[in-house]
Amino acid sequence: MTNEELSRNSSLLRSSTIGLGVCALLWAWFVWRAPIDSMQGPIQKILYVHVPCVLGAYLGFALTAASGALYLWRRDERWDRLAAACAEVGVFFCTLVLLTGPIWAKGTWGRWWTWDLRLTLTLLLYLVYVSYLLLRSFTEGSERAARFGAVYAIAGLAVVPLNYFAIDLAGGRTVHPENLGRGSLGAGMGLPLALGMLTAVMAFAYLLVRRLEVSELRAALDRAQADAARSEM
Amino acid sequence: MNALLAVLWKDLVSEWRSRDRLVAMGVFALLVVVVLYLAAPPGAGPEARAHVPGLLWVAYLFAGVLGLNRAFATELENEALSLLALAPVERGFIFLGKALASFALLLVVEAATAVAFALAFDLDLWPVAGRLALVAALGAAGLCSLGTLFSAIAVRTQYREVMLPLLLLPLLVPVLLGAVRATNALLLEGTLPWPALQLLLVTDGVFGIVSFLTFEVVLDE
Amino acid sequence: MSLVLRTRALEKRFGPLVALHPLDLELAAGSALAVLGPNGAGKSTLLRLFAGLARPSAGSIEIHPEGGSRSFRRRSVGLVGHASFLTPTLTTRENLVLAARLFGVEAPGEAAARALAAEELLPVAERRAGALSRGLAQRAAIARALLHDPKLVLLDEPWTGLDARAAARLSQRLAAEKGAGRALVIVTHDLGRVVGLAERALLLVRGRAAWLEAAAVRDTATLEAAASAAVARMESAR
Repeated sequence: MTNEELSRNSSLLRSSTIGLGVCALLWAWFVWRAPIDSMQGPIQKILYVHVPCVLGAYLGFALTAASGALYLWRRDERWDRLAAACAEVGVFFCTLVLLTGPIWAKGTWGRWWTWDLRLTLTLLLYLVYVSYLLLRSFTEGSERAARFGAVYAIAGLAVVPLNYFAIDLAGGRTVHPENLGRGSLGAGMGLPLALGMLTAVMAFAYLLVRRLEVSELRAALDRAQADAARSEM
Repeated sequence: MNALLAVLWKDLVSEWRSRDRLVAMGVFALLVVVVLYLAAPPGAGPEARAHVPGLLWVAYLFAGVLGLNRAFATELENEALSLLALAPVERGFIFLGKALASFALLLVVEAATAVAFALAFDLDLWPVAGRLALVAALGAAGLCSLGTLFSAIAVRTQYREVMLPLLLLPLLVPVLLGAVRATNALLLEGTLPWPALQLLLVTDGVFGIVSFLTFEVVLDE
Repeated sequence: MSLVLRTRALEKRFGPLVALHPLDLELAAGSALAVLGPNGAGKSTLLRLFAGLARPSAGSIEIHPEGGSRSFRRRSVGLVGHASFLTPTLTTRENLVLAARLFGVEAPGEAAARALAAEELLPVAERRAGALSRGLAQRAAIARALLHDPKLVLLDEPWTGLDARAAARLSQRLAAEKGAGRALVIVTHDLGRVVGLAERALLLVRGRAAWLEAAAVRDTATLEAAASAAVARMESAR
């Protein structure tokens, strides 16, 4: 890697770390100070983690598909590295959603799982993520993996709105709390939630930067190894 | 267009000569019906029978995936796939030819399976036969479009037989839910709900377009 | 004399591995180019790039350099690969009709019949392609590749597995096609066969190309010597 690449990377890392640190502290403070929900009790606070993670999960997939499409258009490997990184970060957030959701659900509705619209949608997203990552790892040849991954991610993204209508049709609009629109939140809950969303974005960016760093290092290592192997012969 | 018909003809003629895909799909679907009946015999009341249409689509899905797995496997012999990739046409037409061939085979299997299903679960399908065929066709179209795309992808990965269902099933949910809803309504109430049809039509359209356009890059080396 | 193929800085990478370093090349109608080199040098990759089966990582390829979209490019190229590209369950004739229809040839049935006759395949026309011997399959592959009258014909080790008579037949056919104005690119290890056919030779070693001088292609011994010398030179130049 060139010197300017290295310094650009470390300044990017520095700023995303600082951004994340600041947001996370602010957010934690306001979550701690937020009022306890009268009906649900303290377990409601897990939503300040759950909802932002949902943002991360869906954002991650949209970015994966978009980067994949850009790779197909531009054929620049860097778009593919971005797509792979977004998928890995996104699946992490999706896992958190599927872990925090049931914890909250058990605490409030008394059930670990229900097949309502949003849970099912997110579960399907998770499966698509996992299939995407498996596809990439089982395809031989990085160029082919990039191409196939991009096609799959685009198809996966196209399915999300279709899934929404499909599950709705099958009667999935049952137990999940309705959209957190204006006024449906109790007083004092809006700010920690908004901060949570911001923190999620910051966390996503931070993890993405670190992951990209790893893949760039790996690519540089591969190049160096390939050169070394060739000059040895 | 010529290329589409050429590919369709090739697949159908090959299939007619060996009949291996058709037989495999058909026998497998029949086995699934038997297993489903043994595993979940329907009770007497209408609520108990509400799940039965879903089981039919389970059988269709399994048969479809089995057939699609074979769609590109034969192209690997003698690298016949490269010939398709070499054709100086929009590769989406190659996709259409292959998808239509799978579609035709699946329709035949679906018809036979429906008969077996009616016998096993003691259903009277005659009054809704036409509309059921429509739903079955719409479902098969969605299945075969994405299925052909992913079959072309899966055939060049390791664990290719596992890869196809892994890729395909999470994305088939709209097709499955729409088709089951429609079949349910047909069998229990004799009506064909428009929202379900609409979902199937839109899904088939989206899948068809995505597959047609992306097939271009899938057939590259 | 018109150009059939031109590449500018044509490059192919697979991740970090450079399969083909930037290559400039021009090929005129009625000429033949031999591509030589050790295994794994990137010769097959080069052919697949020319054929339009793989996309370049950088640089450009122009076929019949009036440009045009990729579908037109593939129209002017015929490829004979390692495998025959024949569908085993169809007969030889049906395979050729299929290829004719895929490549937009008019009157595909008659075109297939002509192609069968040209390669003397009529006796096996109704035999399933899966039952053809290597030699017959190769001839069918050549018939298939030439069916749509391509200006550029690419051959990947075409003499492999052929007996002496079939190999001589092939050399004759290629010479005739060259005379008819087609451009040929032939990847081969069989230096003896390509000597009478090609005017130029390109040596590929681990993705790097070196042109051999025209005089070297005059006879087998000279070609072998020139090729070995060039390989040694390239290996040591690290």
